[in-house]
Amino acid sequence: MASQPSTSSITSAQELAKTARRERRPDKGWRAGETLSAYLFLAPYLFVLVVFFLVVTIYGVGLSLFKVDIGFTTPEFVGLHYYQLLFQQLSDVTDSDFWISMINIIKYTFFDVIGVTFFALVLAVLLHNLAFLKGAFRTIFYLPAVTSSVAVSLIFIWLYAPQGGINYLLSVMHIPGPDWLNDPAWALTALIIMNIWATAATFMIYFLAALQDIPQELIEAAEVDGAGRIAAFMNITLPLLRPAIFLVVALATIGAFQMFDQAKFMTNGGPLRSTLTPLLEIYNKGFGDNQFGYAAAMSVILFVVIFLFTMVQRRLIDTES
Amino acid sequence: MAQASAQTNAATVAITVDAKPTRRFQWYQVLIYVLVVFFTLTSIGPFVFSFFSSFKTLQHILDFPPSLLPNPWTLGNYQEILSGGVFSRWLLNSGIYAFGTALLNVMFSAMAGYALSRMHFPGRNIIFILTLSVMMIPLPITLIPKYLVMNDFHLVNTYFALLLPMMAQPFSVFLMVQFMKGLPKELEESARIDGASRWRTFYQIILPLVKPALIAVIILSFQGAWNDFLWPLLVTNSQNMYTLPVGLFQFKTDHYTEYNLLIAGSMFNAIPILVLFFIFQRYFMGSAVGSAVKG
Repeated sequence: MASQPSTSSITSAQELAKTARRERRPDKGWRAGETLSAYLFLAPYLFVLVVFFLVVTIYGVGLSLFKVDIGFTTPEFVGLHYYQLLFQQLSDVTDSDFWISMINIIKYTFFDVIGVTFFALVLAVLLHNLAFLKGAFRTIFYLPAVTSSVAVSLIFIWLYAPQGGINYLLSVMHIPGPDWLNDPAWALTALIIMNIWATAATFMIYFLAALQDIPQELIEAAEVDGAGRIAAFMNITLPLLRPAIFLVVALATIGAFQMFDQAKFMTNGGPLRSTLTPLLEIYNKGFGDNQFGYAAAMSVILFVVIFLFTMVQRRLIDTES
Repeated sequence: MAQASAQTNAATVAITVDAKPTRRFQWYQVLIYVLVVFFTLTSIGPFVFSFFSSFKTLQHILDFPPSLLPNPWTLGNYQEILSGGVFSRWLLNSGIYAFGTALLNVMFSAMAGYALSRMHFPGRNIIFILTLSVMMIPLPITLIPKYLVMNDFHLVNTYFALLLPMMAQPFSVFLMVQFMKGLPKELEESARIDGASRWRTFYQIILPLVKPALIAVIILSFQGAWNDFLWPLLVTNSQNMYTLPVGLFQFKTDHYTEYNLLIAGSMFNAIPILVLFFIFQRYFMGSAVGSAVKG
């Protein structure tokens, strides 16, 4: 977002330079021809951009004002009915699938983002300090990040089994492991742990790039002055990583709020709605109950919630920098 | 001037000389390697363990304590999975979805990127700003209407429903613009003097120069489509149109406790991407950082 104004000012500067040059050109028909061929180059992309991004976004907001089912009745205008319904449900949250899913996702996001950021930073710092085999270990650490959520979910269904690999490791340490995916008290935790494992490496890359940008002389100078490694890290490296940390937190938050695959695949929202996420609830309302207008209203609320969280974080970034 | 640089040279030498004998930090390096080994185990452990376990029989899949290597080895899980015929159909559909997305997307986003970065026409800035903004629209808000659009055009359960929304992705266009912007202007000017058309300039001069970006876009979009679960789940509704992830979901529902089959099934989804990753790893990791710019 921050790069946006600067990019546009650069392009408009280029534009000015171009038009200045073009005025010397006697060829008048060139411009129309140029415009036509530019739009031919853009045609397939413009189709996708307009239909699957712009129209669909407006359609989505409009849809939330209608009662829509497929194959039964014609759409019927209901105004803000679904929003009223959803906000009335706030009075008894435990009775509302949507608000339970919201609470679940806020819990999930909170712990997931902390875990992901922490481990991404640890992995990056470790790699950064390796004297040799850096590339090989970077590849190894990155493996979970390229594997699909579906493959990871299948593997973890087995690892989380009551007699599975994870409970075996716990039993070695004399900790009795729970029935992870079938215990309402543990299922969401199981998904959080799995997701931290699967995505920390994605964000490790951002930290690695940021660490490389820190001038080595700063740290060396601190060490010459007698600062220990840990003191140098806490007082120099960490503050300089601040922008990267905020970026990772922001991206991880947006990702976590949209969690669907794992919840659908591993637990289908259960047991006892303990892993129901907003996107899964939207899916269930739309494709399960054939209430697409209602589902669209939930989508709009989820969008606003994500937007507010992002804005709050962006404000934090701005005040820091 | 010369004196100053000599001084800084001396300073660097002093630092390096000073840094060399500080051997007392050796314990620190040991700690780092211990941690690296630990995280290596946590990163690849689940893959290695499940890969070997995909050759175990149902009887031994949940042995307690578990053993890494199967005893006895069996190919039965893979045979059972492939015997139905429908599984290979899912693989084919996933292949069509992933290759189709990658090829269409690299072609169309390169074309769009070329127009946006190197041509001048009314509306260019608006399209570029829209490209940046739609990258920030979260998926949920477009999900339901995107499905309804497909439904209205009777495209649900066809390859069109899978491919159309993916065939030109804003982030790929953005990546292309960033790459092509940096090429010198003289390229086009000399091509035009030589009488080359816009299209020829594009595919004979510009495209070969942005090969790394093309490869990055191909890989990113292939991976995205191959791993995609949600969109195919919505727009495919018969067994023979399922992609592998959706098929695996069905498969999981049918064989909930047959972990040996589930793990063998997951290998079909994981291994192609892992192979691709080992070949093209720097493109995977490079473009991940590139995507930071969009934030």
